[in-house]
Amino acid sequence: MLFKLCAKLTVGKFLRGDSMKLEVRVFSGLEKYLPGITFGQAFEIDVPEGTTGRGLLVKLAIPESQVFSMLANGRHFSFDQKFHPGDRVALFPPVGGG
Amino acid sequence: MLTETQLKRYTRNILLPNVGAAGQEKLLQSRVLVVGSGGLGSPAAYYLAAAGVGHIGLVDSDKVDLSNLQRQILHRTEDIGRPKVASGAEKLRALNSDTEVIAVEKLITGENADDVVRSYDVIVDCTDNFSVRYLLNDACISQQKPMIFGGVLSFSGQLMTIMPGEGPCLRCLFREDPSPDASSCAEVGILGAVPGVIGALQSTEVIKYLLGLGNLLMGRLLTYDALTAAFFEVTLERDPSCPSCAQL
Ligand SMILES: [Zn+2]
Repeated sequence: MLFKLCAKLTVGKFLRGDSMKLEVRVFSGLEKYLPGITFGQAFEIDVPEGTTGRGLLVKLAIPESQVFSMLANGRHFSFDQKFHPGDRVALFPPVGGG
Repeated sequence: MLTETQLKRYTRNILLPNVGAAGQEKLLQSRVLVVGSGGLGSPAAYYLAAAGVGHIGLVDSDKVDLSNLQRQILHRTEDIGRPKVASGAEKLRALNSDTEVIAVEKLITGENADDVVRSYDVIVDCTDNFSVRYLLNDACISQQKPMIFGGVLSFSGQLMTIMPGEGPCLRCLFREDPSPDASSCAEVGILGAVPGVIGALQSTEVIKYLLGLGNLLMGRLLTYDALTAAFFEVTLERDPSCPSCAQL
């Protein structure tokens, strides 16, 4: 909402054949795994069709144990679910202190 | 009817559009439960007491520790070792004798959660762990009470207002307990003013809810990054397969 900036981040080689784009945002410290990406900044990534939540984390090199919640299009998304082209993904660590 | 003293004490509230004397009377009759009297609960409870919320329940089972004082502004150096609810209740009463403060020195469990929240209009989640948050979430859903979720970590914080049956709940968003390997404030630290920001926003949501003002943070997770001084909003939907609220 506060920004319309979409940085393009192509991780790995562009795959010939069936790839799809996801829009990803990471929050609350997970940005440390993505050099050049800031907290809450949306970026696009190309992934093979059929990529799962877990597959995306592998591609982004974010340890699964650090991701408390994965959302796709504003809904809870399990690591085993498969993305659809254009899904908007948000990743959060546990922000649980009080 | 407000007394002369109350008209003066709350004059800046009463001047606000859509608040007035009637809104102030409503606040004085309201019952708010603040669960946790640490980094989030301190500013949240302070602002609610200052605003003239008539009844504030303060729940915590901890005692004040030296390492708390960097952010938990309800407590002072001489309070170290005292129950947090005793220390917190004392400060709130000293701030505003119109507010009845109910100190509940208890750990929220599956057995007592329903009873603890029962007599309150709105619950403010200022706890420091997800297992208690899930218990509060479920108790609030079963009793259809709004809950204001807040959490902090390092330089960031987040909050969301949960209206059972109307918007997403905590379990729509978070499903499991965090991995033991995930970062926590005890490991990565927390800048004291960050829970100050989030706790103040939580108290703002409470007052908006009680007085029917504006738009609540329902279905909107508001995230704060102190380092870039930016807020981000993530829009959320109810999860039809939510283990807590799907049946509502
Ligand atoms: Zn839910």
